[in-house]
Amino acid sequence: MCSERPIHRSGERLVLALLVAASAPAQKFLPDDPIARDPDDRHIAAPRRYKLSDYYDFLQNSFGSPGDRKPRTAMNINTLGEVPDSSWFTNRHGRRRLSIEELVRGPDRGTGPAPGPWKVLRGKNEGITPGFSLIEDSRGERYAIKFDPPGNLEMATSADVLGSKFFYAAGYHVPENYIVYFRPEQLELGPDAVITDTLGKQRKMDRRDIHELLNRVARAPDGRYRAVASRILAGQDMGPFRYYGTRPDDPNDIFPHEHRRELRGLWVLAAWLNHDDSRAINTLDMLVNENGRQFIRHYLIDFGSILGSGSTSEQKPRAGYEYLWEPGIAFARMATLGLYDRHWIRIRYPVYPSIGRIEGDHFRPEEWKPEYPNPAFLNCLPEDAYWAAKIVMSFTDEEIRRIVAAGRISDQQAEDYLIGVIIKRRDKVGRYWLNAVNSVDRFQIQGDRLHFEDLAVQYGFAGRPAAYTAAWYRYDNERDRKTPMQVSQEAAGPPLVIPAEARTAGDALYFTVQIRRKVEGGARIPQAVHVYFRKEPGGLKIVGIEREE
Amino acid sequence: MPRGLLVCGFGVCACLRLWAQAEAVNAPEPGGRLAQWDRLRQKKEEEIRAPERKGLEKALYRFKEEHVMERLAAGWRGVHLVFGGLQTGSGFALGAEFRQERLARGIVDLRVGARGSLHAYEKWEFQIGMPRLHNEHVFLDFTATYRNYPQSRYFGIGPRSRKADRTNFRLEDTTYLGSLGLKWKRWFRVGMRGGIIAANTGPGTDSRYASTETVFRPSNTPALDFQPDHYQVGAFAQMDWRDEPGNPRSGGNYLVQWNLFGDRNQSLYTFRRYEAEFQQYVPFFNRRRVIAFRARTSLTDTSPGQTVPFYMMPTLGGSEDLRGFREFRFRDKNLMVYNLEYRWEVFSGLDMALFGDAGKVFGNRSDFSLDKLEGAYGIGFRFNQAKAVFLRIDLGRSREGTRIFFKFGHVF
Repeated sequence: MCSERPIHRSGERLVLALLVAASAPAQKFLPDDPIARDPDDRHIAAPRRYKLSDYYDFLQNSFGSPGDRKPRTAMNINTLGEVPDSSWFTNRHGRRRLSIEELVRGPDRGTGPAPGPWKVLRGKNEGITPGFSLIEDSRGERYAIKFDPPGNLEMATSADVLGSKFFYAAGYHVPENYIVYFRPEQLELGPDAVITDTLGKQRKMDRRDIHELLNRVARAPDGRYRAVASRILAGQDMGPFRYYGTRPDDPNDIFPHEHRRELRGLWVLAAWLNHDDSRAINTLDMLVNENGRQFIRHYLIDFGSILGSGSTSEQKPRAGYEYLWEPGIAFARMATLGLYDRHWIRIRYPVYPSIGRIEGDHFRPEEWKPEYPNPAFLNCLPEDAYWAAKIVMSFTDEEIRRIVAAGRISDQQAEDYLIGVIIKRRDKVGRYWLNAVNSVDRFQIQGDRLHFEDLAVQYGFAGRPAAYTAAWYRYDNERDRKTPMQVSQEAAGPPLVIPAEARTAGDALYFTVQIRRKVEGGARIPQAVHVYFRKEPGGLKIVGIEREE
Repeated sequence: MPRGLLVCGFGVCACLRLWAQAEAVNAPEPGGRLAQWDRLRQKKEEEIRAPERKGLEKALYRFKEEHVMERLAAGWRGVHLVFGGLQTGSGFALGAEFRQERLARGIVDLRVGARGSLHAYEKWEFQIGMPRLHNEHVFLDFTATYRNYPQSRYFGIGPRSRKADRTNFRLEDTTYLGSLGLKWKRWFRVGMRGGIIAANTGPGTDSRYASTETVFRPSNTPALDFQPDHYQVGAFAQMDWRDEPGNPRSGGNYLVQWNLFGDRNQSLYTFRRYEAEFQQYVPFFNRRRVIAFRARTSLTDTSPGQTVPFYMMPTLGGSEDLRGFREFRFRDKNLMVYNLEYRWEVFSGLDMALFGDAGKVFGNRSDFSLDKLEGAYGIGFRFNQAKAVFLRIDLGRSREGTRIFFKFGHVF
C-alpha cells in the first residue's frame, strides 16, 4: 500500500510553497525551525456538528479516490521529520519514554465509574452492539458502557481498553476506557432515562429494557457483567473527521488530512494492532474549551474491533488482508470457482474466545489493509511509515506485557498468546519499515562529536554495516545549495567528528552532513540521511533531517 | 474605598501585563514557520463555511438517519408489507401482515396476514404463539391458514410422469394446527402437534394448460373427485446446531417427524407420514468454503384400502430440491432427495455455489434405493447480509432443460 515512489526534495518544496502560499520565503529553514508544537488551538467560532454517512464513506472510499493522492511529503511535519504536538497528536512514548505506570494508566485520569449505583440515562438498541450510551456514577461522572458479544467474554472489552492505551502512548487523543464488572442490581434507571430503539426513536426506558439488553451480551461465570466504561469526552461532539481534506469550518485545520503524517503513519500502527476498523466513523472531533480558547481536538475512538476482536464476533479471517470490496480478487474467485484465493483463507488460528482471531506468522505490515481504503493510509510513504515504526518499536516486550495485562484477560494462556502475537507483529513492523529508509537516527551533538544510532541495526533488523561514510557540506539556506567542505569521514560507528569549520562558524550559517551506510565489499546502500545544522550563539543546532527513500 | 480601588487597579494591571507577556510568548516569530501557518489559518478563517452534504452523501445520510430499512422491516404500527410467500407460479405476490410480539406481559406473539398475487392466488393466516414460556424452554403455537391456489401444477403421479402432461388445478384448503414443544439448550426441540385440514380442489384457471380433471381420472389421481377433511396428529424432534441458520457455514440440522392424517369423512384416505431431513455443513479454509449436504426423505404408510390424496403427496422439483426441473414436477407417496453444494465466498456480500441434486419419488417403499434417481446440477449466486442470504439466484440444468430461480432466503 505504501508508495515506493521517491519524493524529490524539489517537489517537497513545491508542495510546501503551495501550502504556505506565494508569499512564503524560499528558505528550507526558517528561524523558528524545528518547531515542536503546532498551535492549532487558536480560538475558533463554534462549528456545526457534522455527522458522516458511513454508507457514503464506504462507497466513496471503495469506488472513488477522495483526497489528494499525489505522493508528496507529509505537510504537517517539522524540519526534523517529526510531528509537532497539536490538537491531533501529542508526542509521548516515541519521543520521551513513558514509565510502565504511565503506559498502563494510558489516557485514564481516574479509576473508572465509582462503586455504588450507576444511573442509566440512555440506552441503545440501534447500532451493531447493544449498550448503555450514557450512565452516571455516584460521583456524577458519565460513561458509555459497551459489552462483549455472547461467547466471547473479555474479547471486545479488552481490545477496547488495550487500544486506548497503545494509541494513547503512541500519541493520539483517545477516550479513557475502563474495564468494569457489575451486577444488574447496580443499575438504576435515571428519572428521564430514554432508550433509542432500532428505528432511532427515543422512548422512556424501563427496567425490562435493561433486562433485555443484558440478555444479549456476554456474562461472566460468576453472574456479573463485564463491560468497558468509556468516559464521555469533554466538550461538544462535532462529528467524525475524514481521512482526507480539511474541515471547512475549522480555521485551525489547514493540512489536508491525507497529508498529515500522524494519520498516514496510523496505517502502520493500525496494522500492528490489527485496527481494521480505522475509518472515519471511528473518529471524533470534540469542541473543547481550554485556557479561554475554544478549538477542536481530534480523537480516535472505539477500539472494540482491533487485535482479534471484531466487536460483535471474532475478527473476520479477511481482516487486515483484504478490503471488503476488491473487484480483481472477487472476479478471480468467481471465474475460478473459488480455486483461486488469497493465502489468508488457509491461516489457522488457535481457539481463544477471549482473544478472537489474530496471529503474527502470516502478518505482512506492508500489505495490511483496513476494512476499506483509507486515503491517508494510501498516501503513506516510507518516511511516514518509518516515523510510525519508530513509535511501534518504542514498546518493549515488558511494556507490551504490562499493557496487555491491563486488559484483564483471565485465561493466562490466551493472554500469553496475545502478548506473543503483538511482539511478533511489532518486530515485523520494525524489520520492514526501519529498513525501508536509512534508519540512522537519534542525532545528538556532544562537544565536537555527532552521535547517532542506527535503529535497524540496534533492533537486530539489519547487519552492522562495515562503516558509515559522511560527507560534509556548507549549506546556503537562501539558495538551497550545498558546497562540499572536502571533509569526508568513514567511521565504524558513531560518533562522527564535526569539522572545525562548522563548529567555529559565525551565527546563522548552515551546514549539512550526508551519512550513508557502507556494507561489506565496499558497496554503498544508496539511501542517505541528510542532517542539517545551524550555528547559533550556543553552538551548532540540528535543525533538519531528510531521508532518501 | 480608594484603597480598594487602588488594589483592584493594581490587580487589573498585573493581569493585563501577564496576558500581554503570554501573548508575546505565543505570538509566532515573524518570518518563521509558525507565522506562515498562522497566516494560512487567518486566510482560512476568512473563507470559513459550514460543511454540507450533497447528492448521494445527503441521500445516504438520510437513508441511515431516517432508519429507512428498519422502518420497512418494522412496518407501520405493526403492519408490514410482505412480498412473495405464495407458491411458485403464483405471479407477483403482495400482502400485508400485522405482527405484534411480546403481548400479554411479553409472552404472546401475534401474526395476522393476507396476501394475494397477480394470478389470483391468495393466502390468509392467523398465528398466535407463546415461544418463550418457562424461560424459553416451552413453546406453544396455534396457526390457522386459508389457501386458494387456482393454478397449482400437476403432472401426474410417479417417477415416470411426463412433462408434457402438465395440467393445473385449484387447491383450496383451510388448516388449523396447534403445537406444543420443549426446547433444551438452544439446539434441541421436541414437540407434538395436532389439527384439522379441510381441502377442496377444482378446475385450474391457467388457460395455457388443461385443467387436471380433464386429463386425469380419480383412478390415477386419488381424491380428484372428492376431497376429504383430515385430522392430523404428530410428533417431531429437531436438533439444530447450525452456526447461522440464515446462511450456515458449520454445524448441522437434523429433523425427524411423524404425522398421522386421518380421513374424517370416508376413511379412505388415512395415512401416516414419516419424514427425516439431515443437513450437514463442513467448512474449510476459514469457513470461506463450505460443503453443504442435505438428505431428505418422506415416506408414507397406508393401511390396506387406504391411499393418499394427490394434493397431499410430497412433491419434487423446483428451487428447493431438484433444481433443473419445474416446481412440483414429480409427486408420489414417497420421496427421497439429496443435495450437495460446494459454496465459496466471492466477497463479503456474495457467495457462489456449485450444486448437484438427485432425487426421486416412488410409490412403493421397496423402491427406497439409490436407483433411477433424477439428477440436476447448476450454479448459484447467494447475496448475503451479515448473517443471512437475502437473495438467491440458482441456475439449474436437468434432462428437461434449464431453470433459473430467483428466491429470497437460502436453499437449505
